[in-house]
Amino acid sequence: MRFFWTLLTVTLFLFNPFVANADDRIFVTNERSNTVSVIDAKSLTIENTIEIGERPRGIGLSPDNTELYVAVSDENKIVVVDPNTLKILREFEAGSDPETFGVHPNGNIYISNEDDAKATVFDPKTGKQIAEIRVGLEPEGVAVSPNGERVIVTSESTNMLHVIKTPENIIESNILVGSRPRAAVFNNSGDIAYATAEISGEVVKVDVKKAKIIKTAVTGGAKSKPKDIILSKDENVIYVAGGRANKVIVMDADSLEIIKGIPVGKRVWGLAMSSDGRRIFTTNGVSGTVSVIDTIKNEVIKTIKVGKFPWGVVIRED
Amino acid sequence: MLIKNIRFLLIIVILVSFNLNAEIIEVDFAYIGHEEHPALLGVKQGIDESNLQGQFLNQKYNLEIISENKMQKHNFTKYIAILTTVKSKELKSLAKELTDIPIFNLTDESNELRVDCITNILHITPSSKMKADALKQWQTKIPDSKANPQSWHYSFKKFAARDLNKRFKKNYKTNMDDYSWAGWAAVKMTSDTVARTKIINAKNMLNYLKTKLTFDGQKGSDMNFRVTGQLRQLILLVEDNKVIAEAPIRGIAKPPTLESLGILDCSK
Repeated sequence: MRFFWTLLTVTLFLFNPFVANADDRIFVTNERSNTVSVIDAKSLTIENTIEIGERPRGIGLSPDNTELYVAVSDENKIVVVDPNTLKILREFEAGSDPETFGVHPNGNIYISNEDDAKATVFDPKTGKQIAEIRVGLEPEGVAVSPNGERVIVTSESTNMLHVIKTPENIIESNILVGSRPRAAVFNNSGDIAYATAEISGEVVKVDVKKAKIIKTAVTGGAKSKPKDIILSKDENVIYVAGGRANKVIVMDADSLEIIKGIPVGKRVWGLAMSSDGRRIFTTNGVSGTVSVIDTIKNEVIKTIKVGKFPWGVVIRED
Repeated sequence: MLIKNIRFLLIIVILVSFNLNAEIIEVDFAYIGHEEHPALLGVKQGIDESNLQGQFLNQKYNLEIISENKMQKHNFTKYIAILTTVKSKELKSLAKELTDIPIFNLTDESNELRVDCITNILHITPSSKMKADALKQWQTKIPDSKANPQSWHYSFKKFAARDLNKRFKKNYKTNMDDYSWAGWAAVKMTSDTVARTKIINAKNMLNYLKTKLTFDGQKGSDMNFRVTGQLRQLILLVEDNKVIAEAPIRGIAKPPTLESLGILDCSK
């Protein structure tokens, strides 16, 4: 069996190397430089830096990859950028202190408004607010299920995952989890979600429809304050940004056992995975860098200097 | 027509009662102290936040304010916890009277109260010794420092303290201080426990708080209590209205660093 996996891994490595197209880019928000770093995916070097506004944090792409959205928290707005020309196209008011957001397959964006204990839904084409959903205190992470049926918003000071049914935009259930839930991710079918709890240092796996916790696991030592979380394309592995543990923690998606800790930069928060699953990009806040992880070796293959306190990261692929 | 109306009304009644859900848990707190005390604002902030969470869990939190001169004749049996600003002597007699209810000390810093290890008093406010130790550690770095040791400060940002400061200021148009933080923390750790464990009995609550608590007080992780009843916590060193350091001071306090502040043991 092991031989089979080794063979498969080697085969994948030989015949399916990560190929970045000429226009592929990685975008990173720098919370304290008020900029977005633009990294060329092929050379893995900085090709540009965009002045964006005060305290940029959440970042995402439209479903068709033609627009880049940046939450500019201290200016209470979303700035829309053309990911090809890197020109700012427009901006719109997005409620008080927009922090993170998720883009729904229908193009709408779900924003957590940290100061107001609510999530808001915007149509980024018009900049109009479509809905407002009351959630717990300090809403933070937003995850959208791939089929678009549900959205999870985490509330950090109410310690909950709020499961929102779309398109009704009403709360379907509230799942109490560990202290300070920060981020969540759905599996491909949308039936299972994983979330991190920063203070309790945990990852929790939940049955979304039953609103029940399936499993909880700690992510490591006392310094491990997990933040972002992503799922591998084959759904076998989750990757967790370990915060001040300065590691990306690789866990078995079924058992939640720790497979490996990959040392990256200091205070790692944001994670993004390439569409082929071969690369992970991390934002290392205190180091001011982005680490590039090869997911077959589970090792860092490059470290890129960006702005001050990089926060969010997204990959634009053609 | 009448039958139709009755049927319609019946449906409404059924729908309403279904929505209300019979299993709402009501939890009562008592605050003993002055109405104008900043600790009470923190208590109210805590109640508000607990109810915000409670609306998702069918839990409702109530607060009763009792003045110090009326506490002798008051019946305290229904409360999950008592939050108070009364001084040492009154605190002790209250604790003697109400042995099975957690009593949160929000303001009294006397060291004697800690070494007494009174089983049902939980000291949210740090003891004088905790503060003195914090300053001492800092003065090994800056010998002539005039910093003031505090348990909270409105300029503190770390551990999402920024968010709590912002919420409090928005509601009460004043800055959160040490006492209001203490009031907030006492309510929040209790309601968090209700939310997680469904404990609504005061005696069980006391036991849980003393032995199993891990509380996010928005100034560091997993806060809990010593045998003395003192809440383990970091101390902020404040100078010119700015937080200049956090004790335990890194590199000076020996691990477990939080135990470098204050009294660890009972007197006996």
